Parts: sequence; structure tokens; C-alpha cells
Amino acid sequence: MSVSKLSKEQFGQFVDAMLAADRKVIGVVAKDDRFQFDELQSASALRLDYDVTILPPKKYVLPQIEPLLQFEVGGGAQSVMNYEPMILLGVHPYDLVAIRQMDELFSQGEYDKHYMDRRKQITIIACDIARPSKNIFASSMETAVVSDGYDILITDIGDAYLLDVATEKGHALMSYAKALAPAAAADIEKRQAIQEANRTGLNKHKLACKPSYLPKLMEKAYNHPVWLEKARLCFSCGSCNQVCPTCYCFDVQDQVNWDLKTGQRVRCWDGCLLENFATVAGDHNFRKDRASRFRHRLYRKAKYVPEKIGGQIACVGCGRCITACVADIANPVTIYNRLMEEQNLG
Amino acid sequence: MTKPRVAIFDFACCEGCQLQIVNLEEEILDLINVVDVVEWREAMSEQSHEYDIALIEGSITRPEDEKRIEIIRSRCKILIALGSCATIGGINKLKNKFDLEEVKHCVYGKDAHMPHLETGMTKAVHEVVNVDYKIHGCPIDRKEFASVIRALLVGKKPVIPDYPVCVECKARENICRYEYNEICLGPIIRAGCGARCPSNGFRCFGCRGYVDNPNVEAAREVMDKYGLTVEDLRQKMVLFGCGQGPTV
Repeated sequence: MSVSKLSKEQFGQFVDAMLAADRKVIGVVAKDDRFQFDELQSASALRLDYDVTILPPKKYVLPQIEPLLQFEVGGGAQSVMNYEPMILLGVHPYDLVAIRQMDELFSQGEYDKHYMDRRKQITIIACDIARPSKNIFASSMETAVVSDGYDILITDIGDAYLLDVATEKGHALMSYAKALAPAAAADIEKRQAIQEANRTGLNKHKLACKPSYLPKLMEKAYNHPVWLEKARLCFSCGSCNQVCPTCYCFDVQDQVNWDLKTGQRVRCWDGCLLENFATVAGDHNFRKDRASRFRHRLYRKAKYVPEKIGGQIACVGCGRCITACVADIANPVTIYNRLMEEQNLG
Repeated sequence: MTKPRVAIFDFACCEGCQLQIVNLEEEILDLINVVDVVEWREAMSEQSHEYDIALIEGSITRPEDEKRIEIIRSRCKILIALGSCATIGGINKLKNKFDLEEVKHCVYGKDAHMPHLETGMTKAVHEVVNVDYKIHGCPIDRKEFASVIRALLVGKKPVIPDYPVCVECKARENICRYEYNEICLGPIIRAGCGARCPSNGFRCFGCRGYVDNPNVEAAREVMDKYGLTVEDLRQKMVLFGCGQGPTV
């Protein structure tokens, strides 16, 4: 591991050099008074001082609509797999943790070649959080700082960026950087101070237990009244799912072309809060009530997914669902804390 | 294989949904490659009484319209309601809120009692005859129209969304209107439009009608949180929301 330093101006030149070399760079840019990941045209549009993006970078790892194969009715089918290399620039630690979880989930069991092949083409330049968003609770979820999983990690230390280059993919990009200097001990200290502050300070909602306790907490919560109480105001709009960096459920649809002979199979984002998420053949819906769908999301974050990936909690504390929920019922911390309280009473 | 025969009819409407079919432009050649259009007043002069699929634009407002739609129903195998007027009654249903005499005078003045203007309460098509499929919107989305037709032609059940506009709005990374303390009907209205209005700086007006199971109770209760009133909500719901399901 090596930590290098680039002045802010040199960093801009580094980004522009990648763009000039026709590298596809997805960075964080402003959208009105919010932020989003979008294809970068110039380093000047890049906003590494962002608080949070409306949608997480999962939209590039698992696109909203993705063709899986081309088929011929009654004939053969051909996989669609042409993934271009891409650089994701400015991924916050919590979003990086979410992508790493998806990497595990899509590679275990039924290996998802579409996801994994695309993922292998992606280089992730993560960045330490410079400004907390209004609902962040990454410190509670222990995802405010990362020590691995990125190709490069950048930290804004005021007049310059420090670049922690961790992988071969990361090193390959450094050829675009000019005037790269090794970070001085004082710079490293600044970086440590920023990371230490983030480790505990990004916590607008405080979880009353260690995240590792959540699976145990959920064991006794299945019939708790909180599910009905909250779900009474649930629109089943799936906004919490859409903006969640760890929600990866998808639907698969076949679309036929006008020749009525050929078509494509596509997958598109789905959401477990949506009324027909669990509708199967024969129109049977095994999660018909709002409350059972509402509960499912919280169980999935705190119990079902952790069981698949060695106990990692599938809520990374980005707080996007809290902002996105019109009815203001989605806050996972409120719910887990409520369960904690009543567990303690019992 | 003989091509299915398709007829397109209009009732009380602005014909904007048919115009969306015309607006398929070069794709219209693909369409007539796979179906025989045998009647379509807006685009051709031929007529026919024999057809497999009837596409109905407009709502039913006159006694003779009820008879006409019943005859169409008896002649077709599949009947598709096209656009808000047909699927939910559309803005035509606004008149149901008022005294009919008053409405007639307001619209037609001294001609209010001409025989061909004798109208009753507005009905969506399914309130008169059985409807097999609904293509929602004011106007319809031509890409959705095309995909429904293609699905039916290969014997597949068309995919018509039953989730709120928020799904498509979030996908487009719009900033929620509620974050600006503005009413948007998105959370209770059926998607399929690609959140066109919110993506262009407006709220959702509700033209596609409610999802099958809208949480109107929640819509009412969240008003407070955004410094709005239930009366504000009621006013916004009335444009497309008259006489279709729950209200506040």
C-alpha cells in the first residue's frame, strides 16, 4: 500500500487526463441542489464535497434495466455480454461496503455472470466523506470508513488529495497522474484525523446496539406490533428499495420485437415493498399485506442477507431511505431501537 | 397465419390517444405489418363490423354511446380501453360533480338542449362493458401501447404496472416534490409514464388513475408533515380522480 499526494489542481488534471484518454469516468455531479452519479465530461463538474447522491452507484453495477439475452421465439438464445471498462469516481465508504456485499451475493451459489463480468470492468475510486448528509448514520453501522475494497481511496486534506492506491487496477490508473508525490507523515496524520472523526461523527441517527447484534434482535421481533403500526402509512411505492445501495432484487421480463419472432430478456430493478413483488404464477401473492412487505425489508437488512454473507448487515447507514420516504416511516434506526427498547423491557 | 383484425373507436375524448398511435411514425408500418386495421376514423375512411381487437378511446357519456359500446363489445374478442377517458373516465368525469343542467348550459349555452347534446353522467368504459386490458395515461405512452399490442399478438399477458409513479420517478433521480413541500400524487398513482411530469418540473397530476390498492389514508395523513392540508390534496385529486375509487 502506498499513499500519494496530488494538489487539487493536479487531481483535476489527473481526471481530465483519464477523460482525454477516452476512459469512461462516472463521477458525482450536482443535480439542482442535490447530487448524482453521472458520466463525467470534465473534472470541473466533479463534486467530491458532496454529501450523498440521490441514487447510489449501484445503478452502474446493477443497471436499472439490463438486457440479459436475445432470443428467437421457439429457437435459440444468445447472452448479451459486452461490458465496457468504467471508473466509478467518488464512491463513499458506505456505498463501497454495499457494492462489496453485492459482489459476494452475486458470486455465491448461482454465479451471476452478467453482474460479475460487468463488475470486473469497473475500477472504484472511493473517497472519504467530506460532508455529512442530513440522515447519515454510517458511524452506527460501522461503514463510515473503509480500509479495503477500493482500488484507490482519496481523502481531501484541505489543499490536496491523498490517494491510497490499493490494487493493480488502481495502479494502472496512476499513469494518468502527473507530479505524484509521496504523502508526508503530516499528511497521513491529517488523513487519520479525518477518518477518525468520520468513524464516530457521521451519525444523525444513533443505533442503540452494535450492528452485529441485529440478527439476534430480529429473532424475537417477527410478530412485533411495530410492523403494522408503521405500515399503516406505507404507500408501497418502493422508494426505500430504489434508493437503497444494498437492495438488489430484480424482475425479469421478455420483450418481443415487431417481427413477433425475436426479442430480448431484460432484468430491471424490483422492490420488496411493491404490492406485486411476491406475486407468482396463478396471481398468488404470498406477501399481500403492507405490513408483511414492510417487515420483510427490515428483516432482509438485519437477518436474511447477513446469514448469507458472514454476518455483515445489509444496511450501510447512508440514510437515503429516510430522506426518500414521503410518509417518514422508513428509518431503520427508529425501528431497530424500538425493538431494542422493548426487548430490554421484556 | 391470418393477421388479427383491429378496429379503433372513439367516444368522449380529445382523440389525443389515437394521435399517439399515429405518432408511432415509422413504427406504424411495423404495426400494420402484424395487424389488419379495419376501422380507424382518425386515420382512414374504411369501416368494418368484423374485428378481433377493439381499441376504445374516450368515456361513455350518452345513452346512444352505451348502446354503441355494447355492440362493439359483442363483436370483438379483446377490448382494450385506451387512455384516461376510457380507463378511468378522465377529466370528463369532472362534470359528475356538478348539476348536469348547469354543466350543459355552461358548455353549450343556448344549444344546451339540442338532441345530440343530450348527455348523462360520465362513465369509464369498464362501467358499461367488460374491459380486457387498460392502457393508461393522458395521453397514452406510445411505447407502452406498442409493447402491449406486441405482447397480445404473441399470446402473452401484457405487463401493465401496478406500482406508484415514485418507482419511475426515483429511477430518474428526480428530487421528490414533497422535499419542496409540494403535493404530488405520485405515491398513489399508477406508473408506466416514466414519471414524465415530475421529470419536467411538475407534480404528478394522476392521469393514469390510482394503483389497484392506493393508500389514500397515508396521502391524507402526510399532509400535515409538509405543512399542507387535506383540502389542498382534495383539490389536486379532483382533476383525474372524480368517481374512481377512494377519495379524501
